[in-house]
Amino acid sequence: MKPGVFLVKLLEIALIFFIILTLLFFLFRLSPGDPVSKMVDPMLTPEDMDHLISQMGLDRPVWEQYLIYVKNFFTGRFGVSFHYGEPVKDIIKQRLGWTILLFTTSTVMAAFAGVYLGKIAAWKKNSRLDNIMSISALVCYTLFIPWFALLLLWGLGYQLNLFPLGGVLTPELWVGAGSFVAKALDLAHHMVLPLMTLFIINLGSYLLLMRSSMLSVLQEDYIITARAKGLGETVIRDKHAAKNAALPVITSVGLNLAFSINGGALTEQIFTWPGIGRELIFAVSNNDYPLAQACFLLIALVVLVANLIVDLLYAWVDPRITY
Amino acid sequence: MLKTHYIHRFFAGWQIFIKNPVAKAGVFIMVVFMVMALASFCLPLLGPMYDPMTGIDPDIRLSTPPSLTHWLGTDNVGRDILAQLLEGAKVAFIVGLSSAFISIVLGTAIGMVAGYAGGLWDAVLMRAADIIMVMPSLVILLILASLFGQFNIWLIVFIIAILRWPAVSRVIRSQTLSLKQRPFIEASQVAGASSFRIIFRHIMPNVLPLAFLYMTFRVTSAILVEAALSFLGFGDPSQVSWGMMLQWVWKSGHMFQAPYWLIPPGISISLLTLAFYMLGRAMDEVLDPRLRRQAQG
Repeated sequence: MKPGVFLVKLLEIALIFFIILTLLFFLFRLSPGDPVSKMVDPMLTPEDMDHLISQMGLDRPVWEQYLIYVKNFFTGRFGVSFHYGEPVKDIIKQRLGWTILLFTTSTVMAAFAGVYLGKIAAWKKNSRLDNIMSISALVCYTLFIPWFALLLLWGLGYQLNLFPLGGVLTPELWVGAGSFVAKALDLAHHMVLPLMTLFIINLGSYLLLMRSSMLSVLQEDYIITARAKGLGETVIRDKHAAKNAALPVITSVGLNLAFSINGGALTEQIFTWPGIGRELIFAVSNNDYPLAQACFLLIALVVLVANLIVDLLYAWVDPRITY
Repeated sequence: MLKTHYIHRFFAGWQIFIKNPVAKAGVFIMVVFMVMALASFCLPLLGPMYDPMTGIDPDIRLSTPPSLTHWLGTDNVGRDILAQLLEGAKVAFIVGLSSAFISIVLGTAIGMVAGYAGGLWDAVLMRAADIIMVMPSLVILLILASLFGQFNIWLIVFIIAILRWPAVSRVIRSQTLSLKQRPFIEASQVAGASSFRIIFRHIMPNVLPLAFLYMTFRVTSAILVEAALSFLGFGDPSQVSWGMMLQWVWKSGHMFQAPYWLIPPGISISLLTLAFYMLGRAMDEVLDPRLRRQAQG
């Protein structure tokens, strides 16, 4: 991608994010109830309340409020959470790492496994193996995530007692002097069930996509050429077909993101994984508007940036694409 | 003349469609759930005890396993789980089909305008579609719920539809682009037809069948999003949906004790969405003969 095009894309994302920010501001003013009582915790002392009100400009005219709102966003002042009584920024910082850990691990694992299995399914098209894999992938794709997570929790967590029922750590181990290895193992142990949930639901869509992409690549002339040259089956499959077929899977990571964010939030909620998604659901249930707003904006920003990265990556791996 | 053409095409398509094993399975599952949804209309005949929302068995005030009077058992206040499951089937069909219908109408209109008008209109509408398409709809519904409080079921249906038109509009746009090149469109332009007339009189009849075939995928996502929202406790409190049932199992702390209550609603959501998805994929194969050949090997 040329630097100029990249700059345009970047500006475009900034503009879109600005529109989302603005929409949220006006929706907030349109919603029933008084903005002050929504943004400022009524349990605070009068001095603290006054400080917050003037910081967010809630005593000024609407257009000034808007400018202050935008300025506060860029300086990271999202207000104070009602429930925690701490600045929203600090809470988000604590939660973000947990979400990134769970999310990237599951996405990377599912994408690699999906590409690998999809490749095999397409290669053995209409065999029993392909049928089993395709149907399982379809089922994974339409599984109702919370229910599947609850089933895992019930079966593997409660009945067989193999995994913890929630959280990320065993408090005794982390407060006490546990070794690093013991702590890492403890974290991994807590991560198995949520990871399994996200892995399985994402695997379905990557597998199906890779399979259909591979099927269309296999009909191209250069595959026939490769066969005519007498190349081995595995070489044609892995070196010639799969490499090109995997390209659409990269773009689909961006498109799939919305689906996996929804799923991620639900998974975090069920396994009490202390991430952004769970915090958003928690904030919405408790009418903690400042926290909910910050979580939402963060998710929107991540989605936009991730799609830009996918565009870049796509242009990098496929030189035929020019923007 | 035009009508017989469509009917003929429909039957020809149906013949190919129903031979496909994926389509067969999808149709079968869907018929089962339709029967369930229809059966929910008979619930009032069984007396107030079987009302899915307010019916309480006076002898049972807690969750009980399946029995003769309650085939799937009762929930924690003594309501019949089967009755709730049937009611949930009805709600799922209503939510899925109406939301999909609205997004089809929106997506078709926007796709036709973008494709026919081209230029700036096309650029702006399709860029908007791209952005809405990548936004997680559940997260958007959650932030709206935090602003406006609990939604009723129709509002949820409408919001899901607004968030889910882009995929339809892209298909319709590309179809419109190819139609635009056909002589009959040029002829009506020369004859002085307005753009409005060309879009709705000449292009629409040609893209509409395609739009309705893509409806199945929208049904799947609408049912899943509504169920997830209800599961998290932001659904319409006056409706018994499958997501709501799961929320009750979870929130009342019965998920480890009452598998007979936990399993049916989740299976239903997964199977019904699977059925719609399978229908969609099978239709794709009918529409795209290249895929059909592949499927038959």
